[in-house]
Amino acid sequence: MSDEVRDNLKYTETHEWLKLKDNKAVVGITDHAQSKLTDIVFVELPQIGKKVKKGDELCIVESVKSVSEIYAPISGKITKVNNQLDDAPETVNSSPYDDGWLVELEVENKSEIDKLLDAKSYKKII
Amino acid sequence: MGIKSPLYAIHKKLGGKFTEFAGFEMPIQYSSILEEHLAVRKTVGLFDVSHMSNAWIIGKDATKLLSLTTTADATKVGDKQSQYTEILKEDGTIIDDTIFMNLGDKYMIIPNAGMNVIVTKWLNSQAKKYKLDAKVEDVSRDFVILAIQGPKSRETLQKLTNTDLNSVKFFGCQYTNIAGVDCIISHTGYTGELGFELQINPPKKAEIVFNKILDAGKEFDIKPIGLGARDTLRLEKCFMLAGNEFQGGRTPLEATLGWTVNWDHDFIGKEALLKQKEKGSYEKMTCLICVDKGIPRHGCEIHKESKKVGIVTSGTLSPCLNVGIAMGYVQPDFRVEGSILDIVVRDKPLKAKIVKPPFVPKDWVKN
Repeated sequence: MSDEVRDNLKYTETHEWLKLKDNKAVVGITDHAQSKLTDIVFVELPQIGKKVKKGDELCIVESVKSVSEIYAPISGKITKVNNQLDDAPETVNSSPYDDGWLVELEVENKSEIDKLLDAKSYKKII
Repeated sequence: MGIKSPLYAIHKKLGGKFTEFAGFEMPIQYSSILEEHLAVRKTVGLFDVSHMSNAWIIGKDATKLLSLTTTADATKVGDKQSQYTEILKEDGTIIDDTIFMNLGDKYMIIPNAGMNVIVTKWLNSQAKKYKLDAKVEDVSRDFVILAIQGPKSRETLQKLTNTDLNSVKFFGCQYTNIAGVDCIISHTGYTGELGFELQINPPKKAEIVFNKILDAGKEFDIKPIGLGARDTLRLEKCFMLAGNEFQGGRTPLEATLGWTVNWDHDFIGKEALLKQKEKGSYEKMTCLICVDKGIPRHGCEIHKESKKVGIVTSGTLSPCLNVGIAMGYVQPDFRVEGSILDIVVRDKPLKAKIVKPPFVPKDWVKN
């Protein structure tokens, strides 16, 4: 069971991670989440330009036997999606924090980010 | 949590992740569903399927009782033969699909997981109603059932027994001894691959057999297989899963199991089936392969030009084909091989083509 938690990221209780770059935030699922979901075989990504509120469904990740909703850690407009996952959804398993990222958002309200978990707090809940 | 298999501790040790299925706590996977699935298609895998049920059918009218209560004519099933069939209600709908084995001295029937009480009660009540000298005894918890499946299953198992496994024909069954343990073997399975199933009593002896099979299969890289891969393996072959495909009451004709019905004998439900056949025009089990990317799931609607024409009973990603596949009931007018229907997944239509079963052909690995 792999449970890597990276220090420079923010986390949610529903196992998403967020990395802030200027006013953009990249979002994915944690190593713990991918390991629990096991073989990821399909990722349904949202439309670029779509606006989401914190807690909304951001995308869908499916393993052979399960369908999981991934929630927006913060509110914002979707600026990029990881199209590589269309042909290689298993990248979310092999590289959850790097090549297996899901979505990039334009940050609407920076204070939402402050409310997310840091690595230390996230480690406590997994 | 549900009833644990007598092999629970072994599964735990092997890294099994558990799920609740029909009242049982069984391993859904060990390493990965995809890896386990491919191991069975390419070499060999070992399953604990103790959640399935066992019952003895004894008495001089046992054969009559089976003929009366199933779509099979049991007089045609000789010693050391087993038969896949369905038990029907008077209205022709399926109570359960099952295999019964003619062991010479008595029959064993294998109802689905959690169906032991219903099936035993039903058969005993019919025996009484029709004044037959036959008794059905539920012994589900007295047996562990192991399935060893895959192209290397025979070679693996042969190392552990003096019975010539080449002599156990497809759907043959007999008493044997595997790894020093007396048991019943049948050349049956739920994967569409070469395979055998073992009925082991008492349950505590199953541990030895399970471990010895894993040892014997090492040279073929044998894997323990969970219920996850069991489901994807059967779905690629379009085998029915009772809880999904017969939900809500379906007849063998609707389930495209007409080939299992022996019309030359009398059985409960026959009249209803004959009426349905005569009337025609009923929904039928249909196999769909996705053209668009996505995975159909149980309960998804099937549409033609935005109008509902059917429903998915089982769906998954096919590990062999790497596309979505689905089984479901479709109205007769729309059930045209090669035509495209929409499977609605999360409010979005997913194009899928109607194909002939199975999705994955025999000897897939060789081609």
